[in-house]
Amino acid sequence: MLKAAYRIAWKDMVGDLRRRSSLSSMLFFSIAVLVVFQAAFEPDRQAAVKLLPGLVWATMLFTSLMGLGRVFQAEEENGAFEGLLLASVPRGIIFLGKWMGNLLLTLLVQAMILPLTMILFNVDAWHVIHHIFGVLVLGILGLTGLGVLLAAMTQAARSRETLLALLLLPLVAPLLIAGVQATAGVMEVDGQPWPWIKLLLIFDTVYLALAPWGFSWLVEE
Amino acid sequence: MAKLAVTGLHHRFGRHKVLRGVELSMHSGECVVLFGDNGSGKSTLLTLLSTRFALQKGQYILDGLDSRSQGEEIRSKSVFISHNSHLYGHLTPVENLLFFTELRQLDCSKETIRKAIDNVGLTRFADRPSRWFSAGMKKRLTLARVLLAKPTLLLLDEPYSALDTQGVTWLNNILADFLSNSGMIIMASHDPQRVAALSHTPLFLKKGQLSTKKEALSC
Repeated sequence: MLKAAYRIAWKDMVGDLRRRSSLSSMLFFSIAVLVVFQAAFEPDRQAAVKLLPGLVWATMLFTSLMGLGRVFQAEEENGAFEGLLLASVPRGIIFLGKWMGNLLLTLLVQAMILPLTMILFNVDAWHVIHHIFGVLVLGILGLTGLGVLLAAMTQAARSRETLLALLLLPLVAPLLIAGVQATAGVMEVDGQPWPWIKLLLIFDTVYLALAPWGFSWLVEE
Repeated sequence: MAKLAVTGLHHRFGRHKVLRGVELSMHSGECVVLFGDNGSGKSTLLTLLSTRFALQKGQYILDGLDSRSQGEEIRSKSVFISHNSHLYGHLTPVENLLFFTELRQLDCSKETIRKAIDNVGLTRFADRPSRWFSAGMKKRLTLARVLLAKPTLLLLDEPYSALDTQGVTWLNNILADFLSNSGMIIMASHDPQRVAALSHTPLFLKKGQLSTKKEALSC
């Protein structure tokens, strides 16, 4: 059954790379946000270190929203979503596949954007970049889990991207706060990131445990 | 014992009652063609039998499986070809069918998939994205799924639309083959002439009930 989830994720990734839709727009959007922040604040090296956690998470949130808004786009063509729901696999597996596709896309964008942010803001935190990325991964797991569920919920709405942002932002606010604090924690020499990382893990567990169940309930007519 | 049994099937959309106690029973190798006006509930009935919609009232058994508790198993034994092709335009026919077979957990090699594409007459287009295919080509590709899945029950909603005369003959041959291999077909159609070549039982859906007679049923 996991093969079916993998195949759904593969289909989404291939579709995105062939159409160059979400990946390129997420990348360009991130770069634009970073350039605007750099031009607006012109931070020195010390200020940049303080700015970085918030900047990384704000960029991640906006780019994720962009990707989540399009997560069910391919399914609108030729009634493909109906085709997915006619598959002889549990609905949770369909959710898992859609989530994995979006997760991989978001991780790919963040893997490119994080070093770029550090270069653009001249932040000397290369020795902890893997820790920062690790914290980001924890945040992305929960954010995309809840995001794909809400994207499924709003896919039929006329102004779905606005609705998605309206629903998602209040629900992920605690996760974002934990993510920013954990990132700041891993960047400081005597920082205390663990309580925040534990909180991130709790959010991930809750979101990822409830989302497949919520999706199954949502698509049942 | 019937291979497919539907008893007391009711369905409503909000306050609008579409099906009011549909009864249907079928055996292997049987083909039922549903006729009825637009909005009479043919597509709704097919969608219910595909288990895409949950049953509101009544019972549906396929091959001993109850749709209320064994929907996944029923989906693995049936293929529903609706008005939508369910194809992904960015994928080629080979990739689309590979995706279909893996979602249904069928053990099909790429050679088997290519053979199915040959059988529906799309050999030249096997590696081109299906986005630019005509409606008839999409229909053929959709029907290639039947050849791969070999289902017990085939649900077809207006299968002759978008097919030319040759295509209609070709489709009837495929469906006749399917029936001779103990498959069951339930088809919704507006076209008695095109389906005439296929041995079938016509049923008429009117006022939410099925009848063997064309005249209106009493409620």
